[in-house]
Amino acid sequence: MSQRPSVLWRTIATPLILTVLLLVIAALSYQFGSRAFNRTVVEMFINIMVVVGLYVFIGNSGLLSFGHISFMCLGAYMTAWLTIPPMMKSITLKGLPAWLLQTKLSMWIATPLSGLFVAIIALIVGRIIMRLSGIAASIATFGLLGVVNNVYSNWDSVTGGQGSIVGIPPTMTVWNGWLGAAVAIAIAYLYAISRSGLALRATRDEAVAANASGIDIVRERLIAFVVSAFIIGLAGALYAHFLSIVNPGAFYLRTTFVTLSMLVVGGMYSLSGAVVGVVAISVLIELFRNLEKGVSIDGVTLGLPNGFQEVAIGVITIVILIYLPSGLMRNRELTWPSWRRRQAVPRPAQPALEESN
Amino acid sequence: MTLLAVDDLTVRYGRLTALRGVSLSITQGEILFVTGPNGAGKSTLLNAIAGVVPPVSGRITLDGQEITGAPPEQIARRGFSMVPEGRNVFGALTIEENLKVGAGMRTDKHGVAADLDAVYREFPILAERRHAVAGMLSGGQQQMLVIGRALMTSPRLIAIDEPSLGLAPKIIDQVYEILMRLRAQRQLTLLIVEQSSTRALMTGGRMILMRGGRIVLEGPASEMVKDERLKQAYFGFGDH
Amino acid sequence: MTGLLQIVFDALSLGSLYALGALGIALIFGVMRLVNFAHGDFIAFCVFAMLWPSTNAAAIVFAGNLPSWLLVPLLLLVGAGLSVLSEIIVFRRFRNANPATMMIASFALGFAMRNFLLMLYSSRPKSITLWPTLGLPVEILGARIPMLQVVTIVITLVVLAALTLFLKRTRYGLEMRAAAENFTMARMLGVRANGVILFAFAISGMLAAAIGLILATNSGTADINMGANVMLIAFIATVIGGLGSVPGAVAAGFLIGAASVIFQATLPNEARVFRDSFVYGAVIIVLLVRPQGLFAPKSAKQRV
Repeated sequence: MSQRPSVLWRTIATPLILTVLLLVIAALSYQFGSRAFNRTVVEMFINIMVVVGLYVFIGNSGLLSFGHISFMCLGAYMTAWLTIPPMMKSITLKGLPAWLLQTKLSMWIATPLSGLFVAIIALIVGRIIMRLSGIAASIATFGLLGVVNNVYSNWDSVTGGQGSIVGIPPTMTVWNGWLGAAVAIAIAYLYAISRSGLALRATRDEAVAANASGIDIVRERLIAFVVSAFIIGLAGALYAHFLSIVNPGAFYLRTTFVTLSMLVVGGMYSLSGAVVGVVAISVLIELFRNLEKGVSIDGVTLGLPNGFQEVAIGVITIVILIYLPSGLMRNRELTWPSWRRRQAVPRPAQPALEESN
Repeated sequence: MTLLAVDDLTVRYGRLTALRGVSLSITQGEILFVTGPNGAGKSTLLNAIAGVVPPVSGRITLDGQEITGAPPEQIARRGFSMVPEGRNVFGALTIEENLKVGAGMRTDKHGVAADLDAVYREFPILAERRHAVAGMLSGGQQQMLVIGRALMTSPRLIAIDEPSLGLAPKIIDQVYEILMRLRAQRQLTLLIVEQSSTRALMTGGRMILMRGGRIVLEGPASEMVKDERLKQAYFGFGDH
Repeated sequence: MTGLLQIVFDALSLGSLYALGALGIALIFGVMRLVNFAHGDFIAFCVFAMLWPSTNAAAIVFAGNLPSWLLVPLLLLVGAGLSVLSEIIVFRRFRNANPATMMIASFALGFAMRNFLLMLYSSRPKSITLWPTLGLPVEILGARIPMLQVVTIVITLVVLAALTLFLKRTRYGLEMRAAAENFTMARMLGVRANGVILFAFAISGMLAAAIGLILATNSGTADINMGANVMLIAFIATVIGGLGSVPGAVAAGFLIGAASVIFQATLPNEARVFRDSFVYGAVIIVLLVRPQGLFAPKSAKQRV
């Protein structure tokens, strides 16, 4: 692999630019933003982690997954179990094993542990699901979402059921959030240039040819699945710290949809697309949130009705899909300005025409 | 009288150009063979005429009316019946249902009934198994079914993509025999794509040789036998 | 014995609901390879169409007050119209898109619709009373079966019979079946693409309205999420039934309904709340054993 250094050199710009851009956002928000605005920025960083995680799997494999938000759920609950003070746990979560009941870890230890836990679960689940492809695989991931939601909503003694678990230390700041996003971007980047990432993209673009050249599709997909689950597990852990409460409803269809929209809006097949999509949709959500709160004119508050924000996101997603099917970034990566123009990163092949000769 | 005219047609699949400025015309009642090696653009040509693949530029007219870019169903309704490569029977439908789909757009009930009888007379095996599911038929029987189905649309021109693909030589002879007979009976115009030129040379009619998305040779099949360029086109000495 | 009969009726009526849902999804998938995630929201929309928009807790019944012979056709029309509109405005633009893009588009449409309802009606479930007499039990072979279950099963059987006749005996049905199998070929034989697709959407929308009516009668409430569960299961039924196979989808709908009821009846008490997990788990196993679905047609090739 004598090419490796040059691949690194040509592509390292993308994660660097993205990370620095986010750092600028974090700094500006810290300096000038209100408390509420800072929280919005933290939420955005966490969403970046989730969507970057989705990109690792969906972007590289070309398979659609509806199940990744369940990894966020697993990570968040694991963090809750690890970080809530034992006093509180012994009252609300009686079903936890004794050693876990007595554990009280800091965020810095609990978060990677949660990520690892999720990765292990993903390894087990993925060994089963990754054998499927196409729509069957998407359905199976939907099944995963359903199972996790069902279990976490009903296993009262361990998860608190439908209600919320409270007491997770609220330790998130814009800096933690930025760090999380940076770590996610770094992992996603390293995966994308790894041998597995390259092989997986080859299967995405040219399934038959890649298969013929001896790539083990199931294995490469599994690796991507586990890596993406790890990232999203981390995101779930940070999200638990962000809200300081968890409940299963937060990790179901709505979040699945919003994060998928973010990925689609930015462009499914590029890392920059994943990040840009989150930023774009976050800005919109914030905008609509303020509009829903209403503007006060002469003592009369004019506000958009609740739900308008979601309707707008749905409509914008559809419009983007129609007019910019490859997203805002058109499946390209951000790179050094004017460095041999923008560089096109491997794109999925045009949907093959069945009747071509 | 010219039935179908293709003028300077160009088709691209993404970055790949499959047809480069192809022009041809077919007169009423004629047989035209389009031959050429794999990837020459033959199927693309048929698909573009049928409205399945949108051309980048060029014009296609059928019976004087422009059909460029029209949807396939409209082109079919104007009398262009396409039998694509790989036969494409509706495997889950019965033979009779397959034939009826072909007649779906027609309003002349009596004509449809007469044509159904005619098809069954021409292909007794189809009549025998009319309520069998088409997916169970052999390759040769499926080929007969799709030809029958094309006839049910009451076409003026039938375009067939590689009718001999995957069939035994004896069956191929039979298919061609039927095609020729139908043509004589119904004044059909035939546009047949074949990879090899053997069949064209045997059958007669006009022949076009394609290569790399272009027409490289054109003329009566009988005269093409002698042409050195025919061999060149297949074995790759020509320009590319 | 009566207990068993009760289980059979539970299974059949739940299965009916899933089968109707799966049918609505399978018909559209057949003609345009679209997995319509918005189907559940069509169901909810039809139910809310009976109420006057208001964010108050108490529902203001509007069309719901009409006599049944007017209400039912009106609602079927609403369902068909909504479905057809969604095709014309949204899905038509995705005809040549890949299935993943279409899935996300339909997901987006459903999301927008659900929140549109939320805007108009708020997220609080509202009570709505339709045909209260259907809640009364009837005696069948000694078992007391809710009238609604019987009606649901009968309606489903009638719908299935009518649809089968339509698909087998009419020209449009024939064209729809042909198009479901090979859309391009059907078009090359003169089958009008737009006509067939719009027709499929119209039927699918009417099925959604029917499900909405049954759900609303059964629960007595209108909830913006009421279609989600049926949609999810129906969607799964479509896949394990063999994508593109309409009879397969129906059979799988009944199968999942039966599986749910059997799990419900046989699982130990503590595990009962995890019934859905067992159903989803069973689905994943089915997919592993037969990724092309249980009843995939012979000629079906996976196009993804």
